[in-house]
Amino acid sequence: MFNVEKNGYQKQVMEIYEFINDHLYFNRPDIEIKGEQFNSAILLSLLTGLEKGKELIIGEPGLGKTTSAEFVCSLIYQFPLGLIWGSEVSGHPEQTEEKIIGRPDLGKLNRGEEDVVWTNFSQIPVKIVDEINRLPETKQSMILDGVDRGNWEYLNEMIINDEYCLFATANYQDGGTNTIIAPLVDRFDVMAESRYPGAHLAFLIGKAKRKDHILRHPKSERDLYRVLKSKIGYEKKIPKLEEICNAFGEYVYEALGIKPLRRQDRDQIRSEMESLEMDLDASAYTRMLLTEFSFCERYGQKRVVENCEEGCHYTGYLCHEIKNCASNRLPTSIRQYAQGLAWLLGDSEIDMEHVQSILPYTLAHRVQWKDEILSQRERAKRDDPFPIFLAKEAVRTISQRFREQSEHLKDALAIGSRIFQGERLEPLEGDHPVYVEIRKDIHARRP
Amino acid sequence: MRTSLSQKKGPTGRLNARGRGATNPFEEFKSFTYAKADFHIPLDQIVQSTEVVMDQIRHGYEKLLEEEAKELVWMVQYNTIIKAYEVAEKYVREIDYSAEDIEDFCFALENTQKIPYLIPGPAGVYISALCNYAKEEEISLKLSELKTEINLIGFRLPKGKRLVIEGDAGDFTGIGLEGGELVVEGNAKNWTGAGMRGGKILIRKNIGLHTGEWMMGGEIYVGGRVRGLGNIVEGKVFERDKLVYPGKIHHPNLYY
Repeated sequence: MFNVEKNGYQKQVMEIYEFINDHLYFNRPDIEIKGEQFNSAILLSLLTGLEKGKELIIGEPGLGKTTSAEFVCSLIYQFPLGLIWGSEVSGHPEQTEEKIIGRPDLGKLNRGEEDVVWTNFSQIPVKIVDEINRLPETKQSMILDGVDRGNWEYLNEMIINDEYCLFATANYQDGGTNTIIAPLVDRFDVMAESRYPGAHLAFLIGKAKRKDHILRHPKSERDLYRVLKSKIGYEKKIPKLEEICNAFGEYVYEALGIKPLRRQDRDQIRSEMESLEMDLDASAYTRMLLTEFSFCERYGQKRVVENCEEGCHYTGYLCHEIKNCASNRLPTSIRQYAQGLAWLLGDSEIDMEHVQSILPYTLAHRVQWKDEILSQRERAKRDDPFPIFLAKEAVRTISQRFREQSEHLKDALAIGSRIFQGERLEPLEGDHPVYVEIRKDIHARRP
Repeated sequence: MRTSLSQKKGPTGRLNARGRGATNPFEEFKSFTYAKADFHIPLDQIVQSTEVVMDQIRHGYEKLLEEEAKELVWMVQYNTIIKAYEVAEKYVREIDYSAEDIEDFCFALENTQKIPYLIPGPAGVYISALCNYAKEEEISLKLSELKTEINLIGFRLPKGKRLVIEGDAGDFTGIGLEGGELVVEGNAKNWTGAGMRGGKILIRKNIGLHTGEWMMGGEIYVGGRVRGLGNIVEGKVFERDKLVYPGKIHHPNLYY
């Protein structure tokens, strides 16, 4: 199935992908990258696990949002499923900080001492929040704050996770859901949909026995629980946890022929990913995209409280169709996931195709489209959920524009660089807001 | 050794005049070598190349007017048309243009000061020559916004070509048709399809008098009303899917 030449780790990760795809999470491929087909939910979950990212998984109830994340985490982090289930936070309005982060040690409290019993959720690197939009916004914020920094605080005590990833699932809006407010949504790197697999695969799922038992291991689960609830310091727990996880990894390898990733494997993979840079096309293309999602000629930048003026010269660009401004988290997410994808495919640089493939999933949840755009397009024939569909259309539009003027844009950027180096040149003009942004940078910083 | 923040160098290693390190946001493009000596905005290049083609087309039309219509009176006689067409062919053959340029020329005829006058006859002959020598097999001209109806559109349209006119056409539409397909998404005036040898003319709305005069072959389909047929030699005329020529009785130039 996969033809690209990869080193050992890429092969190992791809085997994990195939194992999940073939045995645990049946679904159709819905994304093609460089001639290879993937299921976006598994692929993005794998990259989230590897890249220490944050993924929002949406979909109808019962279509495998949580289970896909659980399987991926089990094989990427070598945790048996039983422990992952016992560490998940489920979203409901009564959820408390004590159940999410930690609670006072009641025995010690009786003796007049303060100590914290940390939850499994705050201690292990795999953080799964089921139905995050059923949590009140304050609790959503608490989790996302913790995951943003890797710090979990309670009663003036703190533990620091140096490795973690977040998977949050969300059902579509119904009577019991809260909204995930825009600043919180923005913290997710990607959004994917766990889709209906089609009637025939669904029929097979119904026919087959439950497959999750193959990633269960009661002894490891008990051992891990014991370490997690022990009173030793968090830093001392980590090597003990790793030891048990490695033993579970050995078991999985012997029983299933799949080699989960050890801590040193994950570290090595991350350092390989971080060494990958964007080629010039991918860089120029991403700059063009970021411009369209942030530019406003009239008011200097997009702001959600300000509307476009009638008759603006840049009416044909995406800035005219959206309400909000792209945050600084967007380029980070794009780079991070495109890096992961390029690494997985064995490429030496991040190119346009990596970026284009990842973009819709990094944009879909972040962009606030104007109401007229939503009403114009909501009935369009499509295969994706509406936000991902709109993001894919936007990416297609910008790709078309980039194809028409990629050389000119790279020239403009090269000239910009030379002006910064002190040459007396004039910045290039062009029919896209990106040229205005180049000029602004030059004028702002030129002595 | 401490380095104060204000003395820190940016990635380029340059300090600006204020002594503040300026991060070069375009650093990665510093080694990108651009190929062109002078730079044009892509849109400018497109506009420029379109203007060159339009100048050539305009020049051909002016030459045709000089040679054929100096007196501003242009008699529609078959010999005159053939002669004008030969002149038009001579200029058109040398131009590299597209179907879009033909449409632009039609609008330029009305809207620009650069073209001295629009004479529906020569203009139609010239546009027909442009259509007949165009690279595209199918040409669509959106002429519904034109104030003047252009005569002689579709003159000698050859086999394999399809010309669609959005809007109304003037007199002598599709005359001498040579196997092509001419569609008028509106009305056509008198003498439509006169002398046509083969092919198909489709008029969506109404058609005028002398339809198919001296027609030697082919078919004319009219979606609306036919005001009058000409002396047809060979061929078929349909009015609202009903065959009106050859019919049981031949009514030359009679009003229906």
